[in-house]
Amino acid sequence: MTTEAIGTRSTPIGARTAVLAYLAVSGVVLLLMMLFGATMRLAQAQWISLDPTWFYIILTMHGAGMVGIAGLSGAAVMWYFVGRYVPVSTAVFLANLGFFLVGAVLILGSGFIGGFAAAWTFLFPLPAHSGSLWSINAAACYLFGLISIGVGFLLLHLDIVRGILSVYGGLGAGLGFKQGFGLAPEDTGPPPAVAASTMVAIVNIVGIVFGAAILVMSLVNLYVPSFTFNALVAKNMIYLFGHIFINATIYMAVIAVYEILPRYTHRAWKTNWAFYLAWVMSTLMVLTVYPHHLLMDFAMPTWALVAGQIISWLSGLPVLLVTAFGALTNTYRSGLKWDAASGLVFLGVAGWAIGVIPAILDGTIAINSVMHNTQWVPGHFHTYLLLGMIAMMLGFMTWLGGAKSPLGLAPVGFWLYLVGGSIFVLAFLSAGSASVPRRYAVHLQAWLPYDEIGSIGACLAIAGVAILVVRFLAGLRSAAAGGDDSVR
Amino acid sequence: MIQDVVWGVSIVLMGSLALVFAWVAAGADISLPDYGPAIASAYRLRGWLFAAAVIVLIAANWRTLAELPYVSAATPAPGATVVPVDAVGEQWDWMVTPNAFKVGQTAEFHVSSKDVNHGFALYDPGMRIVAQVQAMPGYTNILRYTFTQPGTYHVLCLEYCGVNHHNMKTDIDVAAQ
Ligand code: HEM
Ligand SMILES: [Cu+2]
Ligand SMILES: [Cu+2]
Repeated sequence: MTTEAIGTRSTPIGARTAVLAYLAVSGVVLLLMMLFGATMRLAQAQWISLDPTWFYIILTMHGAGMVGIAGLSGAAVMWYFVGRYVPVSTAVFLANLGFFLVGAVLILGSGFIGGFAAAWTFLFPLPAHSGSLWSINAAACYLFGLISIGVGFLLLHLDIVRGILSVYGGLGAGLGFKQGFGLAPEDTGPPPAVAASTMVAIVNIVGIVFGAAILVMSLVNLYVPSFTFNALVAKNMIYLFGHIFINATIYMAVIAVYEILPRYTHRAWKTNWAFYLAWVMSTLMVLTVYPHHLLMDFAMPTWALVAGQIISWLSGLPVLLVTAFGALTNTYRSGLKWDAASGLVFLGVAGWAIGVIPAILDGTIAINSVMHNTQWVPGHFHTYLLLGMIAMMLGFMTWLGGAKSPLGLAPVGFWLYLVGGSIFVLAFLSAGSASVPRRYAVHLQAWLPYDEIGSIGACLAIAGVAILVVRFLAGLRSAAAGGDDSVR
Repeated sequence: MIQDVVWGVSIVLMGSLALVFAWVAAGADISLPDYGPAIASAYRLRGWLFAAAVIVLIAANWRTLAELPYVSAATPAPGATVVPVDAVGEQWDWMVTPNAFKVGQTAEFHVSSKDVNHGFALYDPGMRIVAQVQAMPGYTNILRYTFTQPGTYHVLCLEYCGVNHHNMKTDIDVAAQ
């Protein structure tokens, strides 16, 4: 088949408009949630005063909102490109956006009207134990919001699976399983966008099923308090779901790298056996690594936690040695001319690879003992989300929206975002190594310098992202008319 | 402290990786006349990197898995005095009894929760975490820690448990031997 980056199907105007709608919603919510983030950081620095009740509501909204738009914008990248290789339904794609918006309204209402603040991870039994700060109904509203978003994604993945099956005949073939194990020639494998979409469909469907189960159980518990269940089982289910969902956003967004970078470097993305093996292994590891969130739950079977540590380490190999290495070799002396879009997708790979390092260290039991639930954790995940996943998504946005508009301030936006974002994540990491807890509305005096530096970084990063997003929104009309860009 | 080692290692590794990306980005606008030899040596390099990664991976896991904090592994040193301690979390207080010790004593914390999940984190007098364990309703988790310096240790809650989470603290006094 093909190692070429350019698919055979074109993207119809309606589909393109739908993708732009996803990106517009994502961009606006992203900026709003970043402002929430900055509000928390400034409050921790004691540069603004914010009631702890509001801090925790905003924390909950920021977590859920960011994870939500990471999923939404990742889905836009995935759907746009996989649709060039397999038939997909625009109606289902739009239905997902509808479910998302309903969920978003429910979640925002639960927080800003109902005061719900049990964090986006709704760890059982906290939703039912608010200390009278939020009502049962507010908690239910939040849980229903998540269910709505989950249903939308389930439909979307099922539709993509249908498309993949119709062309490749099986999920193993869509993933490039045989090529990964040398059972079929490398050049007969699926294109990267299809392999990635297959992987994401598999893991997200599993994750959403577990997520839906624990959401429903938590809902019943709200109204029938005598219906309780084991807190450790609940935590396992929540982190299985949460870990998979947030990781899947990166595996969706990375398709932008596979598809966009080669158009600049004029070198096809090499899909050899190592590439397919990496995706097969990532599928298995994303499904099984979640116990690294429970390393401090001594009641867990030790073997599961030891496996969590070892799989955490192993899961770095595909990222670093296949995707990061692939992007580096694809770019190396390719004669490419940098612009905001190529710069952003390249940065996305760097941010992902670099963020994996502190994450793996934290997945080590002996280290987790002194780092768990410190700001080391937001430190590492903001590195691969803010500077990884979001960079890939912004690269896609800039590329798709900017076909005709001049670059203008985009390079300024890029540098503000890169420099500010780096300062922001390093402030979290260093605070974490100094034992500053995460999710604290009020910090000790000794911790304020980290918060101050982090606040400055956050503001710079937001200014940069605002430039990129506003530029995209301003060019939406011409981007919608831009038609098929497969010729770019 | 472990934290400082981890921070140092992270900065070196993250910085090196960032430099590699920056180097490739900076030279990207130069065009190689022939990509073939470059990609061939890149794949050889990847083989070496893979081998190196496997060695680091095995060594690091071997070394770190030898010192698990779980009580099955953390048997007290022979001759140490082990003091059983009850540590119960409840929105938004810790009840730790007894809460006075001597340097060299091993406290065996029996950590539990009466309502939601809390995180029992032990901070030394310099406010660095030295050990932690989750406090989960329905479970009693056992954490052993041997005090090494006199002064006031602190217990902070490290699992988000509602609006007063950041105020859920208590002190532990450790006297010199
Ligand atoms: C400049 C942009 C951003 C700022 C200023 C910001 C700020 C923050 C702050 C202050 C926290 C709480 C830290 C603590 O526990 O003490 C936080 C948590 C979090 N952030 Fe961000 N953030 C930003 C971007 C993002 C992005 C892009 C994502 C994901 C795509 C994200 C996802 C999260 C998540 C999942 C949490 C955890 C919430 C929780 O602990 O329940 N953030 N962020
Ligand atoms: Cu995880
Ligand atoms: Cu707490």
